Amino acid sequence: MTRQTLLGLGFLSPALLAVVMFFLLPVVLTVVFAFTNMSTSTGILGGAYQISESDLRRLPAAGVSDEAVTLLEGAGYAVQPETLALFAAEFGEDRASELEKLHGGATFDDRRAMERALKELRRNPLRKVRDRKTAAELFRVSILGQRFATEAEFQTAIADLGVPDPDRAALTTAAYTGWTFTTQNFELLWKLPATWRYALNTVLYVVLTLGFNVSFGLFLALSTFYLPTRTAQTFRAIWFLPRILPPVLYVLMWQWLTWDQGFISAMMRPFGIEPINWMRHTATHAWIFIVLINGCVGASLGMILFSSSLRAIPETQLFAAQVDGANRWQQARYVLLPQMRWPILFITSYQTLSLLTSFEYILLATDGGPGRQTEVWALAAYHTALSNYGGNLEYGLGAAYALGLVIIGILLSALYLRFFNFRELVAKPRIEQ
Amino acid sequence: MIKMTCATALIAATAAMPVLAEDITITVWAGGSNEGDHYRIENIEIAADLLSREAAIHGEELNITVEGKRDFDGWDGFKQAVTLGAEANNAPHIVVTSHLDIAPWASAGYIVPVEDYVDLDAWPLNNIYSNLMDIAAYDGVQWGVPQDAESRPFFYWKDTFTQLGYTDADMAEMSARVEAGEYTLRDMLADAKKAVDMGLVEEGYGFYPRVSNGPDYAQFYQSFGGELTDPETGKLLFDRTAMTEMYQFFVDAVEAGVTRKNHIGTEWDQWYSEVANGKAAFWHGGTWHYGRYTGKEGNEDFFGTIGFTLIPAGNDAGRANTVTHPLVYLLTDQEDDRAEEIAAQLVAIASEPRLNTLHAIKSSHLAIGKAESGLDLYAGDRWASEATEVLLPHANAQPNHPSYGAFSEAMFKGLEAAWTGIQTPEEAVAEVEAQLTATLGDELIIR
Repeated sequence: MTRQTLLGLGFLSPALLAVVMFFLLPVVLTVVFAFTNMSTSTGILGGAYQISESDLRRLPAAGVSDEAVTLLEGAGYAVQPETLALFAAEFGEDRASELEKLHGGATFDDRRAMERALKELRRNPLRKVRDRKTAAELFRVSILGQRFATEAEFQTAIADLGVPDPDRAALTTAAYTGWTFTTQNFELLWKLPATWRYALNTVLYVVLTLGFNVSFGLFLALSTFYLPTRTAQTFRAIWFLPRILPPVLYVLMWQWLTWDQGFISAMMRPFGIEPINWMRHTATHAWIFIVLINGCVGASLGMILFSSSLRAIPETQLFAAQVDGANRWQQARYVLLPQMRWPILFITSYQTLSLLTSFEYILLATDGGPGRQTEVWALAAYHTALSNYGGNLEYGLGAAYALGLVIIGILLSALYLRFFNFRELVAKPRIEQ
Repeated sequence: MIKMTCATALIAATAAMPVLAEDITITVWAGGSNEGDHYRIENIEIAADLLSREAAIHGEELNITVEGKRDFDGWDGFKQAVTLGAEANNAPHIVVTSHLDIAPWASAGYIVPVEDYVDLDAWPLNNIYSNLMDIAAYDGVQWGVPQDAESRPFFYWKDTFTQLGYTDADMAEMSARVEAGEYTLRDMLADAKKAVDMGLVEEGYGFYPRVSNGPDYAQFYQSFGGELTDPETGKLLFDRTAMTEMYQFFVDAVEAGVTRKNHIGTEWDQWYSEVANGKAAFWHGGTWHYGRYTGKEGNEDFFGTIGFTLIPAGNDAGRANTVTHPLVYLLTDQEDDRAEEIAAQLVAIASEPRLNTLHAIKSSHLAIGKAESGLDLYAGDRWASEATEVLLPHANAQPNHPSYGAFSEAMFKGLEAAWTGIQTPEEAVAEVEAQLTATLGDELIIR
């Protein structure tokens, strides 16, 4: 490897690192997460081994025999010779013998009951809460609710309990609290009727918004193209506002516009039109505003790009067209537009991909409502993985949604490159060959 | 022998030496907390002071620094902060959160049971209402301690009610009639329709429900005979008939012009100001709304203008009910056992009636324990005493089940679809059922 290559790599390395960390790694992690049942309940970094009360009824379905379940079910705390010996070693013979007299052979369902029994010691009472907790633990015979950090510890515990050999593997699998690899997310997505609705919503959203922002961006660029420079710049600056406003503020302004007591309702009232929430009244209302809100943001980017590429077209061509008697429309149609293929391709593919994964404006505007009619795929991924009032976030299922987007995004990029003949566009100019 | 002598000498030396100070920092994060909820954190600070004094009497120097935080980006932001903190082993010692988080967080190992450190049979924990303690328990283990109690009443605007032809005597009997099932949601709907027709309230303001998902909608499911869990197996319960009738009720309300079709998603600020000032005839909310109505919204005569009852029954199968959704103090798993122990003791001390009453009255919540009603601060507060009497005995909570979140979300999505007219109630119920069957599998019983 020459010094030059090394130097080149050295210069590239920060960028490479950034690409790996911020682009490649998230995609890889999305793929991995999508094939797991990861959720708040399972934790992210791994789990422990635990059988709790509510697990007991799930065990038979997991292939654990009834005999083992009965063993696990057994009373939690028992005052028996073995446990008494442990107690005597730690807290003294006299206490142990007093307890044996009081509760010898008794069993208790939970620790609270065991602690109550320990409180009855009179001759030399266990006065401190902490001591009673420690003592109560010595009488524990059940492993219900106990958390074992490693598989080996759990195996030992169930072996000590006398769980039959054939059941141990199934029991260990059932006891694992962490996430496991599975394909159930995809089966679930396939089965759920909502998935198809979200997919349809996404198509609707992308196609309508894309249509709006490309054509509107083009319209703005063309219409400001013929204006005097200063006026054109002012107009462009105004149309650029949606892009630079913070999304929350921008959507809030739309909310004010569309509330029942908002601007539109107030304007319509004199005409006898009842005030309604224009953004949420029906699904159609919601869609119109979703497209407008997102479209205006996208259009401003398109406008800037299209304007600059229009200005790159030699003015002489327009003069020539004018001499030939072409009007403005004909100039735009036959001179300007044919030379705009590359920027239109760029904006179309860029916007398709960003619209596919964008959901923040919908989240802020309708949050997918009314009745989940504007819930798009990316928003569903967000709701599943990161927002749940009841507390259990489903990271795995959310990642499966996201993975769908990644795949569709890659396929669409490939399609666009093919369709717009990308290779020809980036080919070296003939003059340099 | 030598060993023993050494040990004795060591013990003697330690006893004679000045006690080493123990410095410990306890962090408390409180989710969903507003300005008025500052005692969620301050009570822990007061508890720290008490615990240090107790230690000093034993001759130990225990310095506890409490660091509190309650400005989070909504519930989602708070829950993410706690779970990611727990994954990175730097979760706050104490969190104040919804009791629904117990099941998933216990399973993930983020939290440790409070019962590992404190005596549940001793004061002040033995004073806490046992049904509230049960709400902070899961799988037979006491994970947390209730931080506050609340319940979610049904409200009506008294002026409108009078104009509908009810007398003061009728209003005095309302809560009893609702409780007995004599005044149902259907009667309410008829009254609300009348109020709209008579022009007492604007169209869409006859019945003005909560604008987003929350425990409140479980109440309406219960009003129509739905139960959230099967008591025998602890599995979640999906009652097809109750769900359909509940959806139908909201659809009927929209059709009658009593409730707005696009009501869900109304801004909270708008909603509060409207209900607190008589723009709606009937609505439902929470006991903590009292503070907002009489404070920020400027309703100076709460008891003269607003009446409250349980959520009425919807039909014969259902019952008048209210859901309590207490927040709980939970302890997170820490590397340092001692920190867990101190945190547990602080939580226990913060549950002292006097301390909890500070929070209850300041934030318009209800007492967690019996003794609080004996305190002047609590007994002297008309809202707290009346609400405790009318509502709390009938309150039930949502189940601590790891999948309840999915159940609740699906139920609300279906309701929204029916409410906004996208699907008929039957279609919406069928879709929710299909979705829950697929996602919950064996954990769901369909009736």
